[in-house]
Amino acid sequence: MPLINFAAREINYKIVYYGCGLCGKTTNLQYIHRKINPDARGKLVSIATEEERTLYFDFLPLTLGTVKGMQTRFHLYTVPGQSYYNASRKLVLQGVDGVIFVADSQITRLDENVESYLNLWDNLLSQGDDLTKLGFVIQMNKRDLGDVFSVEDLNELLNHTGSPVTESSAVIGEGVFETLKVVCKQVIAKTG
Amino acid sequence: MARRKGLVINDRQLDRCDDLLQKLKEVSGSSFLALISTSGQPITTASDTYHPETLSLASLAASSFAATQQLARILDENEFTLLFHEGSALNLHVSQVNEQVLLIVTFGRETQVGKVRLYTQRAIEVLRQIFDGPDDGTTPTMDADFESSAGTAIDDLFKDV
Repeated sequence: MPLINFAAREINYKIVYYGCGLCGKTTNLQYIHRKINPDARGKLVSIATEEERTLYFDFLPLTLGTVKGMQTRFHLYTVPGQSYYNASRKLVLQGVDGVIFVADSQITRLDENVESYLNLWDNLLSQGDDLTKLGFVIQMNKRDLGDVFSVEDLNELLNHTGSPVTESSAVIGEGVFETLKVVCKQVIAKTG
Repeated sequence: MARRKGLVINDRQLDRCDDLLQKLKEVSGSSFLALISTSGQPITTASDTYHPETLSLASLAASSFAATQQLARILDENEFTLLFHEGSALNLHVSQVNEQVLLIVTFGRETQVGKVRLYTQRAIEVLRQIFDGPDDGTTPTMDADFESSAGTAIDDLFKDV
C-alpha cells in the first residue's frame, strides 16, 4: 500500500521490476532514466557487481507532479534476477504496490522465466501480499530477437491471472513506457 | 506475516513529528534527521544547513536496515534494532520506530554517539505513540477524482518519450 502523507500533500507508490537474470529489468530503468524529462526524475541508484549485474537493486524515483493537490511519485525498483539472490528480492518487495514481470521471450529462457514467476508468487505470499490485489503487468521483452515464443504461447505459459501483457525491446526502448504507463494506472486504481 | 498496512499520515501527526525531530536535533547535536517508511519512502526531515538527496537516502537506508534484520535472523539473533556507520566526518544512525517507520540521524565528530543513542531512544518512545496511537478521526480521504486526474497526468508525462 502506498505512503500517503496528507500533511505534506504527498503520495508515493512503489513499483518493482521482477524477472530472471539478464531479462532486461535494469535496461528498462536505464532507458526511462535516459529518456524521461530530467525534471520528472531523480538519481538512478544502482547496487551492482563489478560486472554490472544487479547485486541488490536499482532505484529510480519519478515525479508525476501535483494531482488534486497531492505531489505524486512512483519509486521504481529492480531486483537481482539470479536465483541465489532470493533474500535480496524479498527485501525489495517489501511494501510493493505494483509489479512488472519482465519475461525473456527467447525459447531457451523458458525454465528461468517460469522459475522466476513462481518465485515472485512465493515471495509475495510469504509477506502476506496477493498479486491479484497489486498492479501487475507482464512485459514480454526481447521481441527483436529471433527464436522467441509467440505472444500467445508465452501468455499461456506465464499469465494464469489474465493480467495485462505488453511487448517490448527494452534495449531500443520499444514498449518500455507503454508498460510503465499500464502499471502506474493500475496501482492508482487498485490502491485507491 | 500479515499484509503490511498502508501508511497514512495526517496534519497532527506530522506537526508532532516535526516538533520532536527539531527538539531531538537540538539536544543531541545532530545535523540531519529524517523519518522514512520501511519500504524506503521519506516522511519528513529536520535540518538547518545539511540537505542530502532524501529520496535516494531513504531508499538506501531502508534497504540497508532490512538487510540488517535478515542478518540478525541468520545469526539467530531476535533483531538488530539499529544500524550505525562511522565516517571520517559524519556518522549515520538508523533505528526502528515501529513496523513501518525508521528514524535516520546524522551527526558529526563534535557529538558523542552515546548522547545520540540516548536521546534517540527517548524520541522513539514518543514517535511510537504518535504513529501507533488511536486514529483521532482527523485523517482526510483522497479526492474522488484523484484516479482520473492521475491518469491524465500519467498520459502527459509519457506522451513525448
